[in-house]
Amino acid sequence: MKSALKWDVVAKCGTTKARAAVLTLPHGPVNAPVFMPVGTQGTLKGITPDQIEGLGCQIMLNNTYHLGLRPGQELLDTCGGAHVFQGWNRNLLTDSGGFQMVSLLKLAEITEKGVQFESPHDGSLMLLTPEHSMSLQNSIGADIMMQLDDVVSSLTTGPRVEEAMWRSIRWLDRCIKAHKKPESQNLFAIIQGGLDPALRKQCIEEMVKRDTPGYAIGGLSGGEEKDKFWRVVSQCTDLMPREKPIYCMGVGYAEDLVVCVALGVDMFDCVFPTRTARFGNALTATGTLSLRQAKFKDDFRPIEEGCDCIACKSYTRAYLYTIVTKETVGCHLISIHNTAYQLRLMRQVRESIIEDRFPQFIHKFFKDLFVEKTAYPEWAVNALKSVNVDLIQGEEQP
Amino acid sequence: MTSPLKFQIKQASTKTSGAGESARCGTFALSQPASTVPDQQHVKRTIETPGCLMYSQKGAVPHLTPDNLRQQSFGGVNVSLEHILQTDQPGSFSKWPETSPISQFNGYKFTLSEYLRLQDLITFCDLRDYSFAADTFRHPTSPPAKKLASNTDHHTVLSTPKGIRQLTLDGYLKTVRHYRPDVVVAMADTIAETTTPNEKRVRKSVERSLKWLDQILLERNGQDGTIADRRVEEEKKRRRERKEKKRNAAAAAKAAGEQQEHEQKQEQDQVHGEYKKGEEIYIEPIPSEPWTDVGLFVTVGGAHLEESRVWSAQETAKKEGVDGFVIDTLSLSELDKDSRLKHVQTSLAHLPENKPKLLYGLHAPEDVLEAVAMGIDLFDTSYPFQLTEDGKASLYYYGPRPAGQDKSNSNTLRSINLWDDEHGDKFVPILEGCGCYACKDNKHTRAYINHLLKTHEMLATVLLMGHNMYQYSQFFTLVRESIQDGTLQENSVAFGATFGKEPIRTLEKHPNQVIVEAALQKRNQRLDGAEEGVVGVIGMGSAVPSLGAAVGAEDVEMEDGNKSNKKRHESDEAGEDGGSKDEVVEKKVKKAAESSSSPL
Repeated sequence: MKSALKWDVVAKCGTTKARAAVLTLPHGPVNAPVFMPVGTQGTLKGITPDQIEGLGCQIMLNNTYHLGLRPGQELLDTCGGAHVFQGWNRNLLTDSGGFQMVSLLKLAEITEKGVQFESPHDGSLMLLTPEHSMSLQNSIGADIMMQLDDVVSSLTTGPRVEEAMWRSIRWLDRCIKAHKKPESQNLFAIIQGGLDPALRKQCIEEMVKRDTPGYAIGGLSGGEEKDKFWRVVSQCTDLMPREKPIYCMGVGYAEDLVVCVALGVDMFDCVFPTRTARFGNALTATGTLSLRQAKFKDDFRPIEEGCDCIACKSYTRAYLYTIVTKETVGCHLISIHNTAYQLRLMRQVRESIIEDRFPQFIHKFFKDLFVEKTAYPEWAVNALKSVNVDLIQGEEQP
Repeated sequence: MTSPLKFQIKQASTKTSGAGESARCGTFALSQPASTVPDQQHVKRTIETPGCLMYSQKGAVPHLTPDNLRQQSFGGVNVSLEHILQTDQPGSFSKWPETSPISQFNGYKFTLSEYLRLQDLITFCDLRDYSFAADTFRHPTSPPAKKLASNTDHHTVLSTPKGIRQLTLDGYLKTVRHYRPDVVVAMADTIAETTTPNEKRVRKSVERSLKWLDQILLERNGQDGTIADRRVEEEKKRRRERKEKKRNAAAAAKAAGEQQEHEQKQEQDQVHGEYKKGEEIYIEPIPSEPWTDVGLFVTVGGAHLEESRVWSAQETAKKEGVDGFVIDTLSLSELDKDSRLKHVQTSLAHLPENKPKLLYGLHAPEDVLEAVAMGIDLFDTSYPFQLTEDGKASLYYYGPRPAGQDKSNSNTLRSINLWDDEHGDKFVPILEGCGCYACKDNKHTRAYINHLLKTHEMLATVLLMGHNMYQYSQFFTLVRESIQDGTLQENSVAFGATFGKEPIRTLEKHPNQVIVEAALQKRNQRLDGAEEGVVGVIGMGSAVPSLGAAVGAEDVEMEDGNKSNKKRHESDEAGEDGGSKDEVVEKKVKKAAESSSSPL
């Protein structure tokens, strides 16, 4: 399949499955591993495009479902796509719109044709098909678009999982056929198969044949145990083509990012940093600060020493305590900080891979965040052990 | 005492006669704009007058982070004590660090300017948020500003986010000494408990304000300004103690049956006792730290009574060390504009010409023009903020139609409301040729802002605020030019003819806004363990300081059964917009307005 991207690995970790790369997309290069902030409705929570660029962000997400509603396909076609619409000149990635359908709508039903649901207004049947998803995403014009997949919860068992896997393959074919702009938009396939290694293997084999520019690991939508989650991720990265980017959708917290990079994942997205910001929670290397708490009233330090975001270069926790959740500026500042935190984390991860000291970085990261080894999440310890990093017995080297 | 402030009036290049003669251009700055430690990094801006201080809430200009704030050309920020003074302050000021804990400002004394990241902006500190208190821009949905209890001889009353608070002179002085703003307004008895004070109350307010002013001026010079108050307190205390002693002695004597002896003792006390009524008590004067580096503005009041206004202005004008005047209009808020301006004029007539005057409220462009013509130098930016909260964007201009402004843009409108459906498909900037960060390079369009409003995204107010503030500063720039070249009157008349008057703010929200907010409320109700303090809507959150910030689409948890997923599956956001379903699937996409009008 035609590809509108280039994937150049610049370094491989000597210990884990991690790699550092440059992903060149139509709207510019992206350093990988990469965390993509989520600007659902064509905006990143009160932060201007200039500010997002200033944070070093090279790619962010828009949500097809939401943009399809508002402003809608027609308007996007008129103005030339989501980049122009929101004044963002760097890269965008859109999901298929399918997940919202399934998760939001009580009356959604998956059929072979697509996702069918009843309009709440008049009860008439409506349908989101692979073709329509492609059409919408073509209008949005994101540099990376996702296939419409048949998503099942990872907690589902039984034949439904396999059915969804095969259907996702069939829908991938329909997406590829319907995709009108492969020269400027990259379609990624989404590997399904639940928690079943055999199904995952089969799905990968089939989807790889379709030769899409990149692949995502889907269906790990939470609810499953983390210890199962990482095994699926690791299996996928083992089997997926290594000369293409691998994207794990919906991940995640800082520790999830670090572990998944070690397992070989290149791309991530998560609403958590910006969402939690609106509740006044600031992310730092040593944990989360709930700035609404009275204990910060007389804390005259910046959120995080060494952070160069505008919040940390301007204000103390004591002042932020008085404005978070009360003034919009408070919200913007924490959103900027949390986004800066995530992007900085990935930058540091990437640098450590290039300098081949990623394992040391991992040790330090966990120590800073969890302090005591007894507090290290077991799933993370297991996952890292599988790629030769022993958090418990191993030593962090200078 | 050399003033820490410098106000220089410029000569107009052409003289005009008649109306507008009192208008003048000037520059308002600190005498020492550059800090001397450690490396001259902070250089305070100058305010060109007539000009503005930026209105703030809780010490921050609404919607503008420090970087976006500095794209505005205004030179200073107005900070209200009632917004920022915490419940345990001034007491807990002792917990503040001496110097800035922010590494890039290492070594700078940690004053209010540092704390609020306003180092390069003139920090003007007043006690109350007069724009809000006067209801001059009350948001339709917020409750009216509280009528506070009356100030007393001992304290003034503030309306803080945590409730009503009394601030004594002592507390005020401690605060000023600690904050060290560039300019502070003297504590005054501005009448807040009624808009129809009687003559006695008005006279009291002027008297009290003048008394406090005298004390403040003494303290500012390092002298003991509160000695008289402390003497009164000591007198009271001793009288109390004496009464207490008498009572105890009487009780004891009674118990011991020594009534007679007790009476004898009492007589002795009268002669040899510690306190004899009428006797002067010696109070040790406390040397105080001067704060002559802080500029002082004084409020001249007198409510609606001409005699009182004259008295207040005349007496205040006599005082040495006053750097500027605030013309009080708080108790005039129920009068029509012309009456208010008349009272302003009364005050102005008795104030020295060479000092700057600030006026709150009366901030719509045509009001500004009238006030400028009378000689007012400083205003605040609550007007552009008010427009922003309503979803409006300014289009007015002053003087000849600026180059680059498209005639076909129907520029005779003062403003547009970006909530209106008609903007939904307009891929043009708010104002062609406008240099603000929203409009510049046609980066953000009317359609986009309309979309942001309808999706309840905070970027809407960030863009609108940037634009409205920019337009307001442009307006002032052009007004200043008109004063200089003698065209003020002519341009002001033309402005009125072109743009009319600011429409009265109704108590109704835009219908589209009602719909969006209803959907949001519904979603928030469904939030599991919703965290308090975050429910709020555009327009409401900022008008009432204690309400939460605006919240966006992601605060929705997924429907049915996926609660455990909420942490994990965050890439695909659950936006619980109802009628939306139709939109995605139908080939013919309905307009954004319609989709948002059908909540689930």
